[in-house]
Amino acid sequence: MVFLGLCAVFSILTPNFRQIPNLINIMRQISEISIAAVGMTFIIICAEIDLSVGSVYGLSAIIAAIILRSGLGGISVPLAFLGALAVGALIGLFNGVITTKLKVPAFIVTLSVLAIARGAVYGVTGGYSVSVFPKSADPFFRIGESIGGVFPIQIIIMIVFSVIAGIILSKTTYGFQIYATGGNKKAADLTGINTDRIKILSFVFCGLCTAISGLIALAYLTSVHPSAGVGREMDIIAAVVVGGTYLYGGRGTILGTFIGAAIIGVVRNGMVLLSVPAYSQEAAIGVVILLAVISDTLLRREKA
Amino acid sequence: MNQNHIEFHGISKSFPGVQALSEVSFSIQRGEIHALVGENGAGKSTLINICFGVLRPDKGHISVNGSPVQFETTKDAERHKIATAFQEIPICNNMTVAQNIFLGPTPKTRHGFLDNRFMNSETKQLLRVFDIDRQPTEAMERLSLAEQSLVQILRAVYSEPDFLILDEPTSSLSVEQKSRLFKLLEKLRTERALTVLYVSHRMEEIFEISNRISVLKDGRFMGTVDTPDVDHNRIIKMMVGRNVEKHAYARNSALGETIVEVSNLSRGKILKDISFCIKKGEIVGLAGLQGAGRTEVGRAVFGVDRIDVGSVSIEGKTVRPMTVRQAMKMGIAMISENRRDEGIVPAMSVRDNLIMVSFRKASRLGFLAGSWIRQIVETYIGMMNIKVSSSQQRIDSLSGGNQQKVIISRWLANNPKLLICDELTRGIDVGAKAELQARLHDLAKKGLAVLLISSEMPELLSICDRILVMHNGRITGELSHEEATEEKILYLATV
Repeated sequence: MVFLGLCAVFSILTPNFRQIPNLINIMRQISEISIAAVGMTFIIICAEIDLSVGSVYGLSAIIAAIILRSGLGGISVPLAFLGALAVGALIGLFNGVITTKLKVPAFIVTLSVLAIARGAVYGVTGGYSVSVFPKSADPFFRIGESIGGVFPIQIIIMIVFSVIAGIILSKTTYGFQIYATGGNKKAADLTGINTDRIKILSFVFCGLCTAISGLIALAYLTSVHPSAGVGREMDIIAAVVVGGTYLYGGRGTILGTFIGAAIIGVVRNGMVLLSVPAYSQEAAIGVVILLAVISDTLLRREKA
Repeated sequence: MNQNHIEFHGISKSFPGVQALSEVSFSIQRGEIHALVGENGAGKSTLINICFGVLRPDKGHISVNGSPVQFETTKDAERHKIATAFQEIPICNNMTVAQNIFLGPTPKTRHGFLDNRFMNSETKQLLRVFDIDRQPTEAMERLSLAEQSLVQILRAVYSEPDFLILDEPTSSLSVEQKSRLFKLLEKLRTERALTVLYVSHRMEEIFEISNRISVLKDGRFMGTVDTPDVDHNRIIKMMVGRNVEKHAYARNSALGETIVEVSNLSRGKILKDISFCIKKGEIVGLAGLQGAGRTEVGRAVFGVDRIDVGSVSIEGKTVRPMTVRQAMKMGIAMISENRRDEGIVPAMSVRDNLIMVSFRKASRLGFLAGSWIRQIVETYIGMMNIKVSSSQQRIDSLSGGNQQKVIISRWLANNPKLLICDELTRGIDVGAKAELQARLHDLAKKGLAVLLISSEMPELLSICDRILVMHNGRITGELSHEEATEEKILYLATV
């Protein structure tokens, strides 16, 4: 509803908005956020949070870029994928284990990891971008291209990925246990659900999603800067929350998260087209998040 | 000259679904230690909370020194020199002993800063009253439970009240600490004419310290007696009040062999050498007053809390319970006393709540088995007569009784051998209560062993084949269905 309203408003204000190329462009822009936000949705439904995603995004892209640059020949492409995904999964595992087993709040654990991983990015790059690649890396950059030069592959990746995640969440025993864990952890524990394991798995999954998101960014830009993804965690969490996932856990859908990411993408795009200054854009995003959450809370209260 | 310090005039208070107090009127004289007794849920806590301004009565009022008062907050009660030491202790664990004593009335120096020196020296004096070997600057969390509750009492006494409310003050105290407390109360009573309202389950204490005893039963006032004039049995008769209809259900005449054996469960001061067994198809009640350790028995058997020693055996397979998952594998199921916090998942549907235990069954490659689930859900909605418009309805839109039926079904779908029910019918209206009890009886007839933890005497007396009674972490007696009466249970629960 809100989403369609926004689209209508921008369509009226700026005719360029509803041009097909612009709409495709919006989709491409939101695909990175949206894929990472899928993982974040799992975590927030578990009633946890992961603030480290901004740095995990940067670190996995850097690792992949360095492997691609290393000139290992044909093997470098699969290695780049593996390297990036391993980074995401391991950091997720770390976040999950420390949070559940040592009972340190996820907020603190992942905030620390946010800083540690960013430090690692600067460490391995020495602060320089990685942007010149040998020929052997070319196959990798295909995923950043567009079919027929029009339709970006990453949109397809996003859609396939979201559908799979949506099915996991709604149709599998794992998804069921995520909702139960976040909906009432004590009750879930008393029915034999291993809530710690469910949470750890979700952290790992979120790390993987973020790594994929980093890979897509690298493929599209064919370069990565050490500051890539700084502040990205806010966009990702915002997409999830605007999409109606309840911050205290137990409620949320992938479709909602997709719409949440789209709302943020549309607002950003619309403001660019309206030539709103960059600083005001940031503020406007903040206002959108706040409005979304307030209206959600009010709607809930009415129902209750 | 009015001798009455505190008077209750027709106090009524109801909560959704329960009439906690109805038309309670009695008076407490100046300078007496007045005991207040009653079973769980008799309305003692509600009355205390009204007396201290935490709750407001629906009807009626309190008079202090003969003039009616209306407490909006606890501050108003404090202004009338009323102080209390609560049972569930509100303390700030991170702060020091002295800071806890001075939580409300913080003394300041001339410059407006906290007067730590004054607070600490005063606290030192206070701690001496009970010989507590602690520094005023120690963090509260380092104190034992007994010391914490004593600090709580000291805090109340320090405000120099005229009227002091004590709720189960001795539950964690040693014999020595208890006698010091009684000496302190007696001293304050004779020297300053302090009036005390003393709430307790422990009969021997009540007979030791109180001057008069008032009894509540199901929110009604049953009478006040002079302590020297009565004995334990007389008080229990007053607490019981009426005769309970027994034999509401036909006994399960063909009890099977013993399938559950619990041996020597012990855990610190909470559980002491708990042993019992349950036959196939038998409903065994676990009675006792608040804090006796009944819930803890259930949680220990189900593997929720660690135990020091002991074992549980189901159909000859013995384990020392460690985890919930182990207990479930053995065929144990437990319904928690706290439906809201430990039972339902409010945001999920009836369907999802119902399959929370059994969802793994029939699942293939990690996918939920949709048709199997539909069938299970339909079966149990029919069998347990759960009133829903759709199984997709959120569970928190159902009544308490229907929620509880969903929770029972959740476990039944896993084919348990032993079902532990903790306060199954608490907060559920009369009709639904009877229905739940009937269902439980049916299940037992089909061979389920049931451990029914309950505070409701009629429930225990009507559906249990046997009743175990606990007090202070021990099983103090066992009564067969035939010999059990409310008096006998209460006697065992207070010895």
